[in-house]
Amino acid sequence: MLSFRTTSDKLLLVFFIASVAVTLVLILFPALHAIQLSFYQSESFVSARTWIGIGNYLRVLNEPGFWRAFLIGLNFSVLTIVLQVVLGIACALLLDQPFFGRPVIRGLAILPYLLPTVVVAVAFQWLLDGSLGLLTIWAERLGFGRPAWFEHPTMAMLIVVVASVWTWTPFVTISFLAALQTIPKSLHEAARVDGAGPWSRFWHVTIPMLVPMLTVIVLLRSIWMFNKFDIIWLMTKGGPLSATEHLPVLAYRRAFMQYDVGGGAAIATLSFAVLSLLIIVYFYFYPLDGKDGNQ
Amino acid sequence: MMERSLHLRALTLVAAALLGLWSFFPIYWMIASSFRPERDLFAEPTLIPKTIDWKFGSYRNLLELTDYPVQFANSVQVALAVVVITLLISVVIAYVVTRYRIPGKTVIIGSMLYAYMFPPLLLAIPLLSIFARLGMADHLISVVLAHCTLSIPLGVWMLWGFFKAMPFDLEEAAMVDGCSRAGAFFRMVLPLSAPGIITVAIFSFLLSWTDYVFSFVLVNSDANKTLPVGLASILGTFDARWGELMAGATLIALPLFVMFMFLSRYFIKGLAAGAMKG
Repeated sequence: MLSFRTTSDKLLLVFFIASVAVTLVLILFPALHAIQLSFYQSESFVSARTWIGIGNYLRVLNEPGFWRAFLIGLNFSVLTIVLQVVLGIACALLLDQPFFGRPVIRGLAILPYLLPTVVVAVAFQWLLDGSLGLLTIWAERLGFGRPAWFEHPTMAMLIVVVASVWTWTPFVTISFLAALQTIPKSLHEAARVDGAGPWSRFWHVTIPMLVPMLTVIVLLRSIWMFNKFDIIWLMTKGGPLSATEHLPVLAYRRAFMQYDVGGGAAIATLSFAVLSLLIIVYFYFYPLDGKDGNQ
Repeated sequence: MMERSLHLRALTLVAAALLGLWSFFPIYWMIASSFRPERDLFAEPTLIPKTIDWKFGSYRNLLELTDYPVQFANSVQVALAVVVITLLISVVIAYVVTRYRIPGKTVIIGSMLYAYMFPPLLLAIPLLSIFARLGMADHLISVVLAHCTLSIPLGVWMLWGFFKAMPFDLEEAAMVDGCSRAGAFFRMVLPLSAPGIITVAIFSFLLSWTDYVFSFVLVNSDANKTLPVGLASILGTFDARWGELMAGATLIALPLFVMFMFLSRYFIKGLAAGAMKG
């Protein structure tokens, strides 16, 4: 460990303090400002504000729309997380096997994750276009007529779920692939010698070794999927008839379309609270001064 | 026994083919559609396009009739600025935190990890409020700063792990040999941590290049939009010009594919570190 003695040390200290200050201003300040905004009523982002205490919270929490959006968000995140984790582990196990052309398939399997959400949204909407979409035409040929994909509430939800799973499963796949590589070969060998079949080795050797990674992934995915705004906004705008309107879309509508900045900020702050709870759980399982940390 | 492993191998290959198809098909269809002539787009689609539009009509329309070229330039500028700011700040913070006695370093690193998990929309509402009051709404600088709220925590978090794992002895040896501390940093630490720094650069670029939420909220005028928001507004205004939309989507994705081809090992490393949020 060094301390700040020489001139270059002191210069570095100045840079360090400046960097931390910039970061704090950039991140902490907006977060606190969101909380502040949630206690005021204001018509727009530049007009005057009136202090109304917890008025926004009372109003928001008493609306059925809030709880509806909360449940829709819960539905969306549970569905997408379960599918991502199950498919992600399956893909990781597959890609861990040696087979011809594996590097190519590995590369292809990651590609969706690199795409901007807007590209995913546009590509899926084109596949499902009401008159010219490839999947629409295939469905028609198979005798289903021309499905109005985005006009049916359940179908619209399923479509955003599938698009989300398509894009974000590679995150799980790559993480587990990395975790699989850390399992010592000797463990599998020992189990094999003891007469364990492939299935039993999977349950008693592979899965227990993956549990730490599994907790991290489920926590991270929960945090992000519950607050995911762009995919839903770009594909359905929360429709049809608010069937896919979850809390982020509701907060956006409030703050930016209904000029209810306080209400939007209150919803965002409530989401912050839920999020912080999950992060505290994360730190509980993986304390920063833990020996392996999480990198 | 032989038979069974043969079955297993065949099954693996089939599953791998399905995975490749599932991952690549929407991308293939997007690219293929961008090269189909307009009259084909309105006819029954065939899996392999019957004709290819050698005049690249969709691309021409997009580049000549919309603000797409300006938006491309905006995206490049914003992403490069984000990469530079992120590297400067995160290298300093991560290095000092791992090498010096700093009070509250766990708090600093912990809050970085916490900030890294912030969803964009939650920060977008207060950021617009702040930028609007400062008269900086609808300005590319506000987009750059907003993207830094994603990339700096990520950069510090990744480089912290990287510097922590790098033996301190190397710098000490260099200093014993007469290097100043700054000299040791520039001659030993920076070259050795190049892989970590490249990974952080790639992922800050990626975060900025793919972001929709911040630019969507902070920018209004067409001339200041970044590519993802520009593409989304074509979806809104042009009444589903699918050829142009697919051309636009391909142009956003292309730089990422090229980067991925040449730098895939850094991508894999970053992804395995759980580096990108999404």
